[in-house]
Amino acid sequence: MTLSELKPGESGRIIHVYSNNLRKRIIDMGLTNGTVIKVKKLAPLGDPMEILVRGYFLTLRKAEARTIEIERIGVDL
Amino acid sequence: MGHRIALVGNPNSGKTTLFNGLTGSNQSVGNWPGVTIEKKSGKLKHQNFEAEIVDLPGVYSLSTISLEEEVTTKYILSKSMDLIVNIVDASNLERNLFLTHQLLDSSIPMIIALNCMDIAKAKFQDLNIPKLESLLGVPVVPITASKKHGLVDLIRVIEIANYEPRIPQKRYSEAIEKTILQFQSIVNDRFLATRFFEDGINVDKYSEHDELTKLTLQNALELAKKDYTLDFDMVLPDERYNLILTICNAVLTRNSVEIESSTDKIDKLLTHRILGLPLFLGIMFTVFYLSFGPIGTFITDGFVWLIEGFFSIIIGGIESVGMAPWVSSLVINGIFGGLAAVLGFLPQLTILFLFLSILEDSGYMARAAFIMDRVLRRFGLSGKSFIPMLIGFGCSVPAMAATRTLDKSEDRKITTMIIPFISCGAKAPIYGIIAGAIFASHSYLVVFSMYIIGIMVAIMSAILFKKTILKGASANYLMELPEYRMPTAKNTFLHTWERVKGFLIKAGTILLGAFIVIWFLSYFGFVDGTFRLLSYEEIEYSFLGLIGKALLPIFSPIGFSDWQATVAILTGFVAKESVVGTLGILYGVAGDVLESGTLLYPALQAAFTPLQAYSFMIFALLTTPCIAAIAAMKKELGSWKWLIFALVYELVVAYVAALLVYQLGSLGIGTLLTVLVFIVVIIIVFSTIRRIIKSKGSTCGSCTGCGIEGSCDIKSKRK
Repeated sequence: MTLSELKPGESGRIIHVYSNNLRKRIIDMGLTNGTVIKVKKLAPLGDPMEILVRGYFLTLRKAEARTIEIERIGVDL
Repeated sequence: MGHRIALVGNPNSGKTTLFNGLTGSNQSVGNWPGVTIEKKSGKLKHQNFEAEIVDLPGVYSLSTISLEEEVTTKYILSKSMDLIVNIVDASNLERNLFLTHQLLDSSIPMIIALNCMDIAKAKFQDLNIPKLESLLGVPVVPITASKKHGLVDLIRVIEIANYEPRIPQKRYSEAIEKTILQFQSIVNDRFLATRFFEDGINVDKYSEHDELTKLTLQNALELAKKDYTLDFDMVLPDERYNLILTICNAVLTRNSVEIESSTDKIDKLLTHRILGLPLFLGIMFTVFYLSFGPIGTFITDGFVWLIEGFFSIIIGGIESVGMAPWVSSLVINGIFGGLAAVLGFLPQLTILFLFLSILEDSGYMARAAFIMDRVLRRFGLSGKSFIPMLIGFGCSVPAMAATRTLDKSEDRKITTMIIPFISCGAKAPIYGIIAGAIFASHSYLVVFSMYIIGIMVAIMSAILFKKTILKGASANYLMELPEYRMPTAKNTFLHTWERVKGFLIKAGTILLGAFIVIWFLSYFGFVDGTFRLLSYEEIEYSFLGLIGKALLPIFSPIGFSDWQATVAILTGFVAKESVVGTLGILYGVAGDVLESGTLLYPALQAAFTPLQAYSFMIFALLTTPCIAAIAAMKKELGSWKWLIFALVYELVVAYVAALLVYQLGSLGIGTLLTVLVFIVVIIIVFSTIRRIIKSKGSTCGSCTGCGIEGSCDIKSKRK
């Protein structure tokens, strides 16, 4: 599954970041393989989404979230 | 000769605050990523120690994608500094240390200023600084830049720092060190080798290698790729983050129970799924209502009363002294007439700037971009474009400078070119006075329609550019939401003052010069073959009158019935504020404007029919911006070709729109109806463009316009 399929409050672990035009930046901002992320919320219009990663809040569009393959995990950050 | 010290850190980590603290200067500081868009330098003086401090744009990593970040990377790779002070936000240690980790690969001496210690202390149970220092191998100084804590300690450490090149530690796994060594043997520099590792051959644009070296490097890169199972561009970042996590776990003692931060609580409301959007619109409406509504008007009236009182005393003095007629004419009609109109507008601008500063400093601007991204994406822009566009309501010049925070050059160009359509603060008095004179009770609606039309034309232009001359995928969006901060009075004041100061300087230089030129052109001319100072009745014979008359045939199809209106529009090229001032001079009430702004009303009512007035305002709204904005535009667009294109485009749009209004209106369907028809026409044009785009834009089925090729593949694979 991909990050875009996670609902607010759910967490996941990154398996792979597929190529997209922000891939380099996404990796540098800490979304490397194995990183645990939690979806905080969606913007009022449903997109972009806000995630908690490495202790800070990052917002990204679902288009990019769809390129981030994750596995859902049950733990809370 | 002092040392040169560069401040390097993540966006929004407090670099500019620290810069101001160290150098005593007052650069503007905001709470959204990307406030520093150019490198700035200042002097640090402490007792006998002197050094040059360079503030660089914030970067998350040395692999840059936006123009302003490139400034930083280029500067660091050039090694033209003696020391790096790396600012690290202690409350966001893990991600901030990524850049630190990259910088540690260089041989440039480095000190870490561990900022935001106040927030970190509340967030974590403990932060072991001596341990962090020993793990990183460079001095770490805890500071809280916003409260000026620890600055003296930092200066002391800078003073006694070791300015000899550092020897970068070998910190990575055996395989990675082997690859780095391979690259290093080609380029002779460990730092550059690590940059090649992370960014590939692209980095070479910063250095000067011959073709052979580049080829050797390319081959080495291809060869090295085979050694890793992980994607090559993720190898080093992955290793860095693993090492950083070890460091963080060693130095941080986290709270056993996660406390809900105040940012969390505020965001529960401000970015709420349902309430977020209405609250956002409410906040924006409140800001503009307070600036341009009754309260702003009330303050303006009081201020204007003061200025007028002041000017009339001086004018009385001038008249009693009995100077040469041309001197008193220059002072009364030229300088005071123009300045009164411009300065009367200062209170409203100050209020607007004050609110924009508070929104910026608190961190809400980033939320605004988050909320608006979905809307702006429809037009091919990113939520980040919202910030420059919003600033554009105040003034186009800082708005254009702010486009540099956008990642892609197409987005920067488009945003820069549409900002002039956003009705800037300087255009407000044009609508205010003309609508006040002509539309009286409906003036609010008329002024509001100007803003709406401006926004719609801006949006349509963005779509048009995106689909024709600046093709490209939808703009990128990836943004950090900073923690909310209480804006400090000092910061807000500084921020507002900086912008007001810019306006005042403009009024005192460009505008004053413009008023004198306009005065000369309008009060001198040839009458019966003699060149002399003209009286008001003879203004028709002035140079300005001649120019206006010559251009009248061009402007008459859009409803300009007299040359005064034409001339006023022309002077708007110098500064939009001077349109009203010029109208004052040309309708001969400059002296009287000093007593009451409304005295211009009868002259305007005689000169404009409602339809002509509306057409005039439309043209003033959409035409080319003032000289200062054109200069800013040239800087951001980068070439004369683009600048001329943008200016011609704006002229054509303004002319066509005004023509449409006037000719439609002349069919005799009433003003209010014309406005309606005009808006309907805009909507039709708008939806037609959208339909054309939709029929063409079949990128990948269900996710049209997502702009990310390949993302659909993954989705369909999963199905």
